[in-house]
Amino acid sequence: MPAALRFPGGGWVASSGALIPLAIALAAWWVPDDADQGYSQRIFYFHVPIALTTYAAFAYGAFCAAAYLKTRDPRWDLRSYVGVHVGAIFGTLVLITGSIWAKVSWGVWWDWSDRQLNVFLVLFLYYCAYFMLRFSVDEGEQRMSYSAVYTLLGVGLIPLSILAVRIAQSLVHPTVFTTSGAAMTNDMFMTFLVAFAGMLCLAAGMIAMELRGKRAALRVRELRRRLEGTDL
Amino acid sequence: MIGDALALARKDLLLEVRRREVVLAMLQYVITTLVVIHFAIAGAGSSQKAAAGMLWAAILFTAVLSLNRCFAADQEEGALDALLLAPIDRAAIWLGKVLAQMTFLLIMEAIALPAFWLFFFGEKGPRPLPVIAAVLLANIGLATIGVLVAGLAQATRARDVLLPVLFLPLSIPLVIAAVTATLESFPGGSGAQKALQFLAVFNIVFTSLAWGTYEHLAGE
Amino acid sequence: MPPPVELAACSKRFGERVALRRVSFTVPAGTAVALTGPNGSGKSTVLRVVAGLVRPTAGAALVDGTPATDLPRSERGAIGYLGHRALAYRGMTAAENLALMARLHRRPAAAVAPALAEVGLADRGDDRIDGFSRGMLQRLSLARILVTEPALLLLDEPATGLDTAGAALLDAVLGRLRGRVTLLAATHDDAFAARHADAVIRLDRGEVA
Repeated sequence: MPAALRFPGGGWVASSGALIPLAIALAAWWVPDDADQGYSQRIFYFHVPIALTTYAAFAYGAFCAAAYLKTRDPRWDLRSYVGVHVGAIFGTLVLITGSIWAKVSWGVWWDWSDRQLNVFLVLFLYYCAYFMLRFSVDEGEQRMSYSAVYTLLGVGLIPLSILAVRIAQSLVHPTVFTTSGAAMTNDMFMTFLVAFAGMLCLAAGMIAMELRGKRAALRVRELRRRLEGTDL
Repeated sequence: MIGDALALARKDLLLEVRRREVVLAMLQYVITTLVVIHFAIAGAGSSQKAAAGMLWAAILFTAVLSLNRCFAADQEEGALDALLLAPIDRAAIWLGKVLAQMTFLLIMEAIALPAFWLFFFGEKGPRPLPVIAAVLLANIGLATIGVLVAGLAQATRARDVLLPVLFLPLSIPLVIAAVTATLESFPGGSGAQKALQFLAVFNIVFTSLAWGTYEHLAGE
Repeated sequence: MPPPVELAACSKRFGERVALRRVSFTVPAGTAVALTGPNGSGKSTVLRVVAGLVRPTAGAALVDGTPATDLPRSERGAIGYLGHRALAYRGMTAAENLALMARLHRRPAAAVAPALAEVGLADRGDDRIDGFSRGMLQRLSLARILVTEPALLLLDEPATGLDTAGAALLDAVLGRLRGRVTLLAATHDDAFAARHADAVIRLDRGEVA
């Protein structure tokens, strides 16, 4: 691997660096037009993978939160925090790409009757509040416990969000994945998979890099404390 | 566990009867909020459907008011520590508070709901039974997640501000379902069953999560 | 048999502030240890850590060999903690507060009256505690501990606010319990320590001096 990529997460970033441009190329030129929506539908190939990656990042955050509560090992808390953080970043991208898609396809920046988008908004708001909670508590065991509990509560929101979509019929937001399988051709599915894989790699890379950065900062602080004599 | 929870709920109700801090304020607040929202959406919202939304917004914000005070009595003289030191299942602390909060909500709704029906729904309102069912189910959900979030918020620096911020996103699916149930109970609606089922599922999911995680809120 | 209280290199940090640094000591069963030291030396933190109300940042605080924060429910009741606050409900009477504690600790309701009598609050049992003075609240705290019949007493400056009569009652209670419970008490008062403790541990700025 080239020296520039030899850092934690480098492998993931390299993969995403290959997959995402490929996905862009496939989505822009190779894949055939969608029968209903025309060219503008292509943003779907990014919007949905980014959304799924957001869910994946939050799920990773929740998994690490549960691991923290079980083991009380602060490393799990850090992983959980970084997972939620990267999820929040991707979540912002979902809302932006979603708005672009909505504007281009249906002429509005936001559609309040679109349940999927709004329910995603709820989850996004919830995890933004996570940061408010985390930083109102002094660093330590309490902060880690509370963050973990809050993250796990959010896990309840994910299936309930999906259920809310089922109950309220939305005529606007195209539902591509149903219980009977994906409503798209093989070409489209492949493009979708490439983009999804690329996004997951990017998220994993970002998580690895952020973890590395946070751990380095903690190490510096530990050294500073040792110098000042305020270490434990 | 249930016995302990009941004893603690009884304690909260006793304190409320004696100090009358919360329920009267909730009543006042719910009526005022309804009036404010009614005036605020005066241009668009004289329809029955807008009224359904108003009702639930008002109930939600009134619940926040009540939840903000939820742990106040336990913090005044540090009594919460005594509860944590007692040989009880800590989930009983959470459950006791949930029962007390549900009682406060019920008292508020017992008065506000008929008044609301009279002034906003009139003769052409939705079928009452599904709406009452929605209210009862929503109470469980609001209290369940509310007490847990109040437990989180009460230990932080910015507790009054943090509670609504943490609580409202969690409550949105509940409100969506409750409003859907109300709207579908109007004549011509397709019935509130699905929404009521959702509320039940919501309650089961969050009750389990809250019950399982409350233990971790003890300790600094 | 593990000792009732054991701190092993126990450290606690609140944000940037170090409250305890590598504190280690043991309290053998049935003995009394006084924790002395200036304000801010960490005495209250030690007691709260042993009570399981505060989780150590590093090291361990063990009660009967188990980390205090992970004590099984049944053993929690063996701890009697007296802190700076009354740990009671203002809107309720003294008797109601004690009855609630008795119920939660699975003690008979009949335990309330003798506890009130022993701390000199027998005639104030039906008064709401929001009218109580600091000294009366302190007595109420003591009564709360007596009702629960703990095996381990953690007292944070128990004589605070007590008048002469109250202090005498406290001495009587501690004298009665001596040898039968394990006691860890934080105090400024050297005479109090001499009267009631078998050993003294001095803290200074979070460390054992």
